[in-house]
Amino acid sequence: MSEKKDKTSRRGFLRAGLVLAGSVVAGTVLKPFNGVVVAGEEPKGDTPWYGIGIDIEKCIGCGKCAKSCKLENNVPMEPFFFRSWVEQYTIAKDGSVKVESPNGGIDGFKQELPDDQIFKSFFVPKMCNHCSKSPCVQVCPVGATYVSPDGVVLVDEKYCIGCRYCIQACPYGCRYLHPAKQVADKCSLCYHRIKKGIQPACFEMCPTGARVFGNLRDKSGPLVKFLRDHNCLVLKPHLNTGSKLYYNALSGEVR
Amino acid sequence: MEHHFQQLYDVMSQVQGYIYPNEIDLNWSILIVLYPYITGLVAGAFILASLERVFKVKVLKPTYTLALLTALAFLLTATMPLINHLGKPFRAYEIMTTPHATSAMAIFGFVYLWYLMVVILLEIWFDYRKDMVVWAHQTTGWKSRLYKILTLGSYDISPKAVAFDEKIGYIITIIGIPSAFLLHGYVGFIFGSVKANPWWSTVLMPVIFLFSAMVSGIALVMFVYMIVSKIRKVKADMNCLDAIAKYLFYILILDFVLEALDQIHRIYVAEESFEIISLLIQGKLYITLIIMQVLLGTLVPLVTLAFLQFKKPTDKIRHTIYLVISMLILVGIFFMRWNVVIGGQLFSKSFYGFTSFKIGLIGTEGYLMASVWIIVPLLILAFLLWLLPPWKKSEELAETVTI
Amino acid sequence: MPQQIRRLLVAFAVFIALFLVLRYVMIPTSFGEYGHYRGRSLEDNAAKPLQFTGNSSCIKCHKSIVEEKSRGHHAGLACETCHGPALKHVTYADTLPHAKLPDSLLLDKPAERKNCALCHNRNMARIKFRNDTVNISMIKQVDVMKHNLVDKNNESLKCIDCHFPHDPY
Repeated sequence: MSEKKDKTSRRGFLRAGLVLAGSVVAGTVLKPFNGVVVAGEEPKGDTPWYGIGIDIEKCIGCGKCAKSCKLENNVPMEPFFFRSWVEQYTIAKDGSVKVESPNGGIDGFKQELPDDQIFKSFFVPKMCNHCSKSPCVQVCPVGATYVSPDGVVLVDEKYCIGCRYCIQACPYGCRYLHPAKQVADKCSLCYHRIKKGIQPACFEMCPTGARVFGNLRDKSGPLVKFLRDHNCLVLKPHLNTGSKLYYNALSGEVR
Repeated sequence: MEHHFQQLYDVMSQVQGYIYPNEIDLNWSILIVLYPYITGLVAGAFILASLERVFKVKVLKPTYTLALLTALAFLLTATMPLINHLGKPFRAYEIMTTPHATSAMAIFGFVYLWYLMVVILLEIWFDYRKDMVVWAHQTTGWKSRLYKILTLGSYDISPKAVAFDEKIGYIITIIGIPSAFLLHGYVGFIFGSVKANPWWSTVLMPVIFLFSAMVSGIALVMFVYMIVSKIRKVKADMNCLDAIAKYLFYILILDFVLEALDQIHRIYVAEESFEIISLLIQGKLYITLIIMQVLLGTLVPLVTLAFLQFKKPTDKIRHTIYLVISMLILVGIFFMRWNVVIGGQLFSKSFYGFTSFKIGLIGTEGYLMASVWIIVPLLILAFLLWLLPPWKKSEELAETVTI
Repeated sequence: MPQQIRRLLVAFAVFIALFLVLRYVMIPTSFGEYGHYRGRSLEDNAAKPLQFTGNSSCIKCHKSIVEEKSRGHHAGLACETCHGPALKHVTYADTLPHAKLPDSLLLDKPAERKNCALCHNRNMARIKFRNDTVNISMIKQVDVMKHNLVDKNNESLKCIDCHFPHDPY
C-alpha cells in the first residue's frame, strides 16, 4: 500500500517536473542562442558601413589625435592606455629601424638621429582598425564586444567580464583593460559623435586632414574617393582581419 | 590603482625596443598560468585512471581511485584562477548564459561542465555508490546522513546492481577518455587559435598541451600516491610505481618530440616573427624555458627514466628517484605553461621589442593568491580522501563479499 | 530502468531545469536583437557625452577671431585643436550668455614654445613638406632649440610674441 502510494507520488513529481522543464525549454526557445552568427558578417541593406582612411604623407606627428581622443573619451591620462596613438619610424641609412611613441605622441616627438644618417622617416597614426572579421569579436566569450550594424567594433562595458581575451587577440595592440572600470576598452570610432553626424574627435582635431572618415558604401563619399585616388594598404593583411583602416603610403616597416 | 600605475612605470623603464603603448600592461599573469596547469593535471590524472579501467592494466589498481579523486579535487579548482583573474568576477555567469559560439573560451565552460558532471562525478559516484551505502550503515550521525545524501537515495547493493554500476562506470570511462582529450585540447586551442600571437598560434598547441597534461597528471598521481602512502605509513606498491614510470617515460618522449617538432618547424620556416622569438628564447625565457622546462623538467627525467628501463636499482633508490622525478616534471610543466602564457606576452606584436614581467607578493595577481590556488585543490583532495578513502574501499569489498 | 539511473536522471533534470531557468532570467532583454550582444549597448555607446563641439560653436561669440583665422595659414585647423575641448564652455555660454565664465570653464590659451613645436619643430619625419611633391599647404618648420630669440632681459621669447597664432606668417 505504502509502496504504491510512494510510486504514484513519485510519478506525480516526475510529471510535474516534466511539465516544468518543458515549459522552461519552451520559454528559452524564445531566447535563441545567437552564437552561430559569424563575427562581422557585413549586413545587407543600406546602413552605412564605416571605414577609415589615413594619409601617412599628411601626418605631421603633432599627437593631437591621441590627445583629443583621451579627452573626448575619458581615457586615463597615464601613458599605458591609448585608443589612438602616433608612432615615429626612423629608418637609418644602415638599414636599422627605430620606432618610438613617447606617451603616444601626445607630448611631441624628437628626432635623435642626425639628418645625414636618416634614410627616411615618417609618422604612422594608429587606432582600432574596426575589422569586419575582427579577431577580438570572435574570441569574446560572452558577446560583450561586437561589430555594430554600421561596422564599428564596440565594447559593452556593462556586460564585459574583463577576461582580456580580446586584448590578446587584437593583432594591432588597440585594446587595454580600463584600470578604473576593469573592463576592456578601445576606440569606438566616437560612436556617440558619428551617430549625431559629427566626425570622430581625432578626425576633427587633425590639423592637416590626414584622416578621412566615411561610409564605404557611399561610392561618391570622401572615403571611397580617398581609396580610389591613393594606393592604400591595411596593416598585417596576412592575418585576414578584414581591417577597414586604410593607409596611404604605408611603408613595409610598419607593423 | 596607484600601485598598479607605479608598477607599470617600472615596467616602462625596462622596455627594450618598441612595443605598442597598450602592451606595457601585461594582461594574463600568473593566474592564467595556473589555469592550464591545473586543468592539465586533471586530464592527465584521469587518463592514468582510465589506463587501469579501460585498458585493464591491473598493476595500476592501487592508484585508480586515487587518480580519480585527484582529478576531481583539481577540476573543482580549475576555473577558480580564471574567475579570480576576471576584471568583473561577478559577471562570470555570462559565459554560461550567453556563450559566444565562436569563442574558444566560452565553449570551454560547457566542456568543463560536461567533464565535471558527466565524466568525473559520475564515474566516482558509480565507483563509490556501493561503498557509500555500506559506510552509511557503518557510521552514525551527520556523516552517515552525508553518505546517504551522496548516494542520492539509491541503496540497492544487490550483486546485480553492483554489476550494473561496474558496467556503467566502464562506459563512462570510455566516454571519459575522449572527453579528457577534449578538455585539455580545448585549453590548448584557447591559446593556439590566437592568430595575432605567433608564439601561441600553432596547430600543434592543443596536442602539445594534451601530452604535457598527461605527463604532468601522471607525475602528480605518482607523487600523491607516494606521499599518501608515506602518511598512511604503508609501503608504496613498487610494481605499480614502476608501471606508472614506464607510461610516464613513453608519454614524455611523445611530449618532447612534439615540442621539439614545433620549435624545429618554427626555426626552419623562420617567419616574420622568427627574429623576435629567437631573441626571446635566448634572453627573457632562457631560465624558464631552457633550464627549467627543457633541461630539468624534460631531459633529466627522460634520461633517468630511460636508464631505469634497463637497470633496476633497489626499491629504496627507485622510490627516491620517482619522488624527485615526479617533482621535477611537475615543476617543468608549470614552467611550460609559464613560457606559453607569459612568454607569449613578453614580446610586442609589432615584433620590435620586449616588455618585462613584474609580479608582486600580494594582490589578486601576486604569488600569495597563486599559491592559494595550488593549496586549495590539495586540501580538497585531503577532504575527499578522508570522506571516500580508497584503501578502506577495497577492504569493505572483501568483507561484503564474504558476507 | 535501474534505480541508480532513475535517481541520476532526476538529479540531472533538476540541474538542467535550474540552469535553463537561471539562463532565462539572467539574459538581458535586448540580447540578440541585432547579433550576439546586448542591443541596448548600441544606445549606451551612442549616449556617451561629447567633449569637443566643433568650429561652428565658436563663431557665435568669437566672430572676429574666427574670421581672422579663416584668412590665414591656420584656416584649416579646428579651434579646439589648440584650445582643447569646448563643449562645457559653449553650453555654459549658451545658457547664461552674459555671465562671466567660471575659471574652470575657460579654455587653454597655449602660449609656451612647446605647443607650437608639436607641429613646427624641425623633424625629418615631417620634412617632406619642404618640397612640393605633396600637394598640401606647406607647414613651416624651425629648429626650436636654435630659433630661440631672447628679449632685453635675456629671457626667452615665446613663438607667439612674433608669430600671431590666429594669422601666422
